[in-house]
Amino acid sequence: MHIAIDEAKCMGHGRCYGVAPTLLHDDEEGFVAERGQCWKVPDELLGEAQDAADACPEGAIELLEQAPA
Amino acid sequence: MTETQTEATSAEGAELTHRGCPVVHTDYTQETEIFGHYALLDPDREKARFLFNDTTDRGFFMLQRYDDVREGFQQHVTWTTDVRSALRPGSSNERLLPQDLNGQEHVKLRRILNQFFAPAAVRRMEQMATERCIELIEELKPEGSIDFVAEFAIRYPTDLFLALLGLPVSDGDFFLEWSEDYFNALLAGRPAEATESKKKIMDYFDQAVNDRRENPLDPDLDMVTRLVTARIDDQPIPQEDITTICLTLMLAGLDTTRSALGYIFAHLATHPEDRRAITEDPSLVPNAVEEFLRTFPLVIQAGREVQEPGEFHGLELEKGDVVWLGVAQANRDPRKFPEPDEVKLDRAGANQHLAFGGGPHRCLGMHLARLELKVVMEEWHKRIPEYQIPDGTELRERGGQLTMTSLPLEWDV
Ligand code: HEM
Ligand code: SF4
Repeated sequence: MHIAIDEAKCMGHGRCYGVAPTLLHDDEEGFVAERGQCWKVPDELLGEAQDAADACPEGAIELLEQAPA
Repeated sequence: MTETQTEATSAEGAELTHRGCPVVHTDYTQETEIFGHYALLDPDREKARFLFNDTTDRGFFMLQRYDDVREGFQQHVTWTTDVRSALRPGSSNERLLPQDLNGQEHVKLRRILNQFFAPAAVRRMEQMATERCIELIEELKPEGSIDFVAEFAIRYPTDLFLALLGLPVSDGDFFLEWSEDYFNALLAGRPAEATESKKKIMDYFDQAVNDRRENPLDPDLDMVTRLVTARIDDQPIPQEDITTICLTLMLAGLDTTRSALGYIFAHLATHPEDRRAITEDPSLVPNAVEEFLRTFPLVIQAGREVQEPGEFHGLELEKGDVVWLGVAQANRDPRKFPEPDEVKLDRAGANQHLAFGGGPHRCLGMHLARLELKVVMEEWHKRIPEYQIPDGTELRERGGQLTMTSLPLEWDV
């Protein structure tokens, strides 16, 4: 499972890193530090990844079965 | 006979449409009994996906479902804050920053402000916020009977607001009176009636800003120092913009937090099982904060002005139309939150509510507000775990932007 965070959609609500503190982190402005990135989620953090995607009110976090081409 | 006539008129009235939307006349600005506004808003949401409300000069198109409201906040290129409130489109005469900016201008100012309101900055305030909260509670505890709204819920955020500006919290004693006077006049659509209070407030901010020009602090930690030293496109921020930012934070941060605290404590006073759950297990508090913000949204709407004609899921909008982003209706939309009327302290997904808006104008103070609500719930219940609303009390709420007019609480001393 990959997680992708859309830089343009992220508005810094801070809900994702609140529910997924191991996977995601906040930057100085309150946006998720990993925005604009796409990476493979370690198995033990799949739950956090799902929680983060569910929590984002902007729909900025996407979970992908496959690594994007 | 008259009865039949009235019926005929109301049936006709119900069929009235404006650009395909059923027309409603619901007035959300009047004072009602507590929860009276949700009793108007929730049924309106179920009448039709989009409504046109004709109670203001310009009228407004209402987006009410969770998905629509959320998408509406994201239409920030074509729908701007040139109208900030669908209920008071003319209120934009009173300038607010960063609210009134849009596009890149807005992003540039938010970039400067965000860092003082981000979770990292709010964590730096936590100790001070906790100490101040404890002081206020300890001061009130021996009284055993207070108006929670007037004696606690407005004082606490006012003190923290002053601290955020690097001002002495003791100034709250006189500052509060001015801010209340000005806010109430503004909300009633009569800012001219409070010009004196506004002048006192602006002079006070002006002095504070000048003081910081002379005695700068660390611009990474002190917001006013940052504002006086920052450059946007190589230009310093004008003095009147800095004082307008201070004024905006005051208007946006004090009444809202007071209101949230009022609804939370009205609920907890009347729901002993929830109150005891929180007292026994404070780890419930963060999710409870989200659930309270969801169930009792106090900013019931945000306004937007359409800049380019376009279609929104079948709704045809023209330039100059006013759009209502129905925050309260979205938070209480059963399509998104099952049994939306029920407070469930451990509701999954409670934090997806739109109480703080969304898109680029999402509430600047959300993390501070969350901290304030969390600290109060924790510290209050450590000290005053049992309290009630005196028998026979009638609770009322102001319209427009909701807040309880008073909340008497009593406890054993
Ligand atoms: C429970 C408390 C609060 C609630 C429910 C709340 C709600 C909101 C909402 C819904 C918006 C969006 C308005 C729009 O999109 O037009 C907003 C914006 C804003 N809020 Fe809050 N707010 C709260 C507390 C605070 C606090 C404590 C502060 C600051 C100290 C604050 C400062 C602001 C500012 C400056 C904006 C404008 C942001 C912009 O336009 O970029 N708010 N708030
Ligand atoms: S919850 Fe969404 S908008 Fe908020 S910081 Fe995370 S990705 Fe960004």
